[in-house]
Amino acid sequence: MTIDFERIIAILVSGLVSGSLYALMASGLSLVWGTLGMFNFAHGALVMLGAYAAWYFSNPAGLGGGLLLGIPAAIVLIGVGGYVLYVLLVKPFVGRPGADLIVIITTIAGATFLQNGVQVVFGPRYKQLARVLTGEVRFFNTAVGFQDLIVILVAPTMLLLLALFLKRSKLGLAIRAVEQNYDSAQLVGINAGQVYPLTFAVSAILAAIAGILLGGLFFILPTMGSEPLLRAFIVVVFGGLGSLPGTIIGAYIIGLIESISGFFLTLYWAPVVLFAVLIFVMIVRPTGLMGRE
Amino acid sequence: MLLKVENLVAGYGKFEVIRSLSLEISKGESVGLFGPNGHGKTTLLRCISGLVDARSGDVLFQGENIKNHTPGQIVDMGLIHVPQGNTLFPRMTVLENLKLGAYSRRAWEKRLENISRVFKLFPRLEERKSQYARTLSGGERQMLSIGLGLMGVPDLLMLDEPSLGLAPKIKDELGQAILEIAQSGVTLLIVDQDIELLLGLCQRLYLIEKGQVSLETEEEEGIQQQEVLEMYFGRVAQ
Repeated sequence: MTIDFERIIAILVSGLVSGSLYALMASGLSLVWGTLGMFNFAHGALVMLGAYAAWYFSNPAGLGGGLLLGIPAAIVLIGVGGYVLYVLLVKPFVGRPGADLIVIITTIAGATFLQNGVQVVFGPRYKQLARVLTGEVRFFNTAVGFQDLIVILVAPTMLLLLALFLKRSKLGLAIRAVEQNYDSAQLVGINAGQVYPLTFAVSAILAAIAGILLGGLFFILPTMGSEPLLRAFIVVVFGGLGSLPGTIIGAYIIGLIESISGFFLTLYWAPVVLFAVLIFVMIVRPTGLMGRE
Repeated sequence: MLLKVENLVAGYGKFEVIRSLSLEISKGESVGLFGPNGHGKTTLLRCISGLVDARSGDVLFQGENIKNHTPGQIVDMGLIHVPQGNTLFPRMTVLENLKLGAYSRRAWEKRLENISRVFKLFPRLEERKSQYARTLSGGERQMLSIGLGLMGVPDLLMLDEPSLGLAPKIKDELGQAILEIAQSGVTLLIVDQDIELLLGLCQRLYLIEKGQVSLETEEEEGIQQQEVLEMYFGRVAQ
């Protein structure tokens, strides 16, 4: 097999596209984990709902408003959805012993419910989002689709906005405060009961954006969130639980590992390589790349 | 009366830590609490600030019963609790920590002028303002904790063990700053093991033992250190 420049660019692009999608999903998971100490197993369902919502608002078979309506509408709707999800599936158990385990079950139940609900409402036929731009650009004689390029550019932009939000806004400060010192957060007047659902909403917005990007690349179907969710969990553990920079770096590393091993060893072997690297990292650094003790 | 605690009972699970405790603080006073470890001083502060539920009794602040209000509501009324030990947000800068101290509605608008006030009181914090809180020394951390409390625009500031683990020189420095805070008109309730520090700062002292006030020194008497030590150790030795 010859390795030429074209192939390298193709591998790089495919790694960056999956890395971007994983980073968007995993940062939402990581945010909820850091703040509440819980994993949201319905996060993949929120990704899927984001794609369906964007399709429904934009496609002529739905409301036909075009992507200009579909994308913002999906983001707002799923953001509210994240809030509601917290109130229904998480809030009743916060503060109880074993809440983290109970919430795994309730969010898995919620995800199952949402997947089957979508199947009933939208039917089994796969959907696809219209493309924002069709066509491709050429880098060194290699064609790169505009859709791929959009994913590669949008994801870091969104993550930058997330970082700014956490760093600069009052709510962002409060989310980090609750994460770092629960008692002291209360003693400066932060109401964790208000911060938790908003953290879920922010996390859901990230999921929705991932879903919209995913829906422009592949088919939209009720289970489309499951596979990336599994990857996102790996990313969060790999990058270090609760560390946002670790999560983002981990996402891109895993995306690239997948595309490189997929290319050289076939897709069938890619997960094997992925888990081998994960196990190695866990042995050398049990807290993940940038996790804390 | 700024703060009035009446027959307060509180605890964790099966354990009653505060057993019918009463005390009073007037506006402008500095009051000290001392006594052996594990006898309820910290629990009392946690109960006043809403972190621990009261089982019975009352906590009146500025005439309003704040028993079992949420910590947020209590902070909004100007009762600020600076907890014991490392109370900071470790992976945030000094400046971000101070901003968070002003999170409540009453303090947020005044955060910029209050940050410069805190920096005037603790110039060392200004030098470190872009550093993460976890990289500060013990003394600097304590200064930042108190600074966080001041950012909340307190009418009553409760300090839990401000001198814990500090070198004598830094302790003196901190004591001086606390005195300045008192002189600026903030009422203080200070818990500390260091009786000398309390004697230098407070007009009145309460001895807390087994979840109750077991002794109270009167304001006019003046407090002699020897006297305090005798009653403290005399009681414990019984």
